[in-house]
Amino acid sequence: MSGTGIRVAALDDIPEGEGITVDRAVTGTEDDIALLRDDDGSVWALNDTCTHETASLAEGWVEKGHVECPLHASRFCLRSGKVEGLPATRDAVAHRVEVRDGEVYLFPNETSS
Amino acid sequence: MTSTPELAGRAGRPTATPAGPLHRPSELTPTIDVSGLVDADGGLLDRAIFTDHQIYQQELRRVFAPSWLFLAHTDQFRRPGDFFTTYMGEDPVIVTMDKSRAVRAYLNSCRHRGARVCRADAGTTRNFTCTYHGWAYDLEGRLVSVPNREGYPDRFDTADWGLVEVPRVENHRGLIFGTWNPRAPSLREALGGMAWYMDAMLDHDGAGTEVVGGVHKWVLEGNWKLSAEQFATDWYHVNMSHASALMLLAPAGKSPRDEIVHRAGRQYVDPNGHGAGFPVHPKNRFDALAVHQWFDYEAARARLGDARVEGPMTNGHATVFPNFSYLPVNGSVRVWHPKGPDRMEVWAWTLVDRSMPDEVKEAQRLYNLRTFGPSGVFEADDGENWSEVQAISRGFVTNSVPLNYQMGLGSEREDGRYPGKTSELYSDAAGRAFYRRWQSLMNTPAWYEVDR
Repeated sequence: MSGTGIRVAALDDIPEGEGITVDRAVTGTEDDIALLRDDDGSVWALNDTCTHETASLAEGWVEKGHVECPLHASRFCLRSGKVEGLPATRDAVAHRVEVRDGEVYLFPNETSS
Repeated sequence: MTSTPELAGRAGRPTATPAGPLHRPSELTPTIDVSGLVDADGGLLDRAIFTDHQIYQQELRRVFAPSWLFLAHTDQFRRPGDFFTTYMGEDPVIVTMDKSRAVRAYLNSCRHRGARVCRADAGTTRNFTCTYHGWAYDLEGRLVSVPNREGYPDRFDTADWGLVEVPRVENHRGLIFGTWNPRAPSLREALGGMAWYMDAMLDHDGAGTEVVGGVHKWVLEGNWKLSAEQFATDWYHVNMSHASALMLLAPAGKSPRDEIVHRAGRQYVDPNGHGAGFPVHPKNRFDALAVHQWFDYEAARARLGDARVEGPMTNGHATVFPNFSYLPVNGSVRVWHPKGPDRMEVWAWTLVDRSMPDEVKEAQRLYNLRTFGPSGVFEADDGENWSEVQAISRGFVTNSVPLNYQMGLGSEREDGRYPGKTSELYSDAAGRAFYRRWQSLMNTPAWYEVDR
């Protein structure tokens, strides 16, 4: 991937505690990407589809470093995608994100630092 | 999802949900003729209507299911996903705003094994997910997730298994009502002449009302009709039951003035079983001082007319049949949820004018809490009466002795000032009409019992 990443959103597009979906046509990834904004203002990216059932993590609840799936309450770490709560058992794929000058840049398939 | 009028009614079921070869034997729903239990013309009542389990079951089927029942206030739904859970009779329902901002109501019971799909009192959500096996429904009631979906047969179609929707939801000046009866008259038509009296509380200035956050809920021993009837027809108990509260509110060192104790007024008697009683006096006012001082009585006279300002705007009691009641003086609106023949849950909101400054809203909230909150000085008296009446009514002899509803017999008339039929302030007229309506519904097959 490019060194500067793909500009995918303005920071203000994503309310704290919520998420938005970026289409895979933009990101070139196998799944759509959920951009998730934690309650401390930081932005994270995971594959959008929950690893348990078909549900959009961007529609989930984001707080304190985790996202909770809106359908069955599986919980994932925003930073690593690691599953932290049943019924999901498989980790979500995490992607690196950078915020520069109020713009959100995605680095598909790069892990977060 | 939405029960179609054509399907609802087949096999005696109130919803159009697929039932396959299931059919419920009629022995499970015996019907009692209640003609001999209510003498609305003569003002006599058999106490069995407050205690009998079969009558109670029949009430759920024939009084609650076909009637318009209060659900919530429009102010409780501001954005998609806002929800409030309540009951229609004993049926748990979710009231929510869908993605198109329409307020809809669903039976709060999973189509799979029947658990509630929403267990919170109120909040905001994107889906209603059953905590038992994980069937999940969206704000439009569609079944959107079935874990292990591949385990179901080919003919299983999620479109057939959405939440059961309450087919009719309508609001009158912010008060949302719903009914299971797809063929019910409109809410406005069902309220009929009662709307004129309700608007004395709901339409002070055109800006509408809102609810103070939170709903007070408490449990009482007592049949739901005891409280619904009292709010329809009973100012009679005020000076006796609430003597200590009236003394407390009187100026220090004095008893309440004679004109407070001996009040004249009218009682509205609605043919659909609604009722409202109110003292009438040119100087009637709101009790809470901050509300009284803020309120523009002259503007209200221009909008609502003198008769309403001098009567049902500030004072009295009212019931919308069957189990919604309110008190204009403090903005208390409440539902008497039935919980078996001898138990009810009271759910009470405080209504305030949207146009009130914050400190006036707060004054009304506190006044409501002091007088008719769960431990209010008036509310506690009322709850004691209902529970007293209920507690002894299981006695065999006690239960067999008829009760008297004869005050104001024959007094109902058109008085030229208050629309519809009215009686005296002190009268059982609206109570008799309440039980006449109850008797009529109990003896009339509901929409799903009628073959079309």
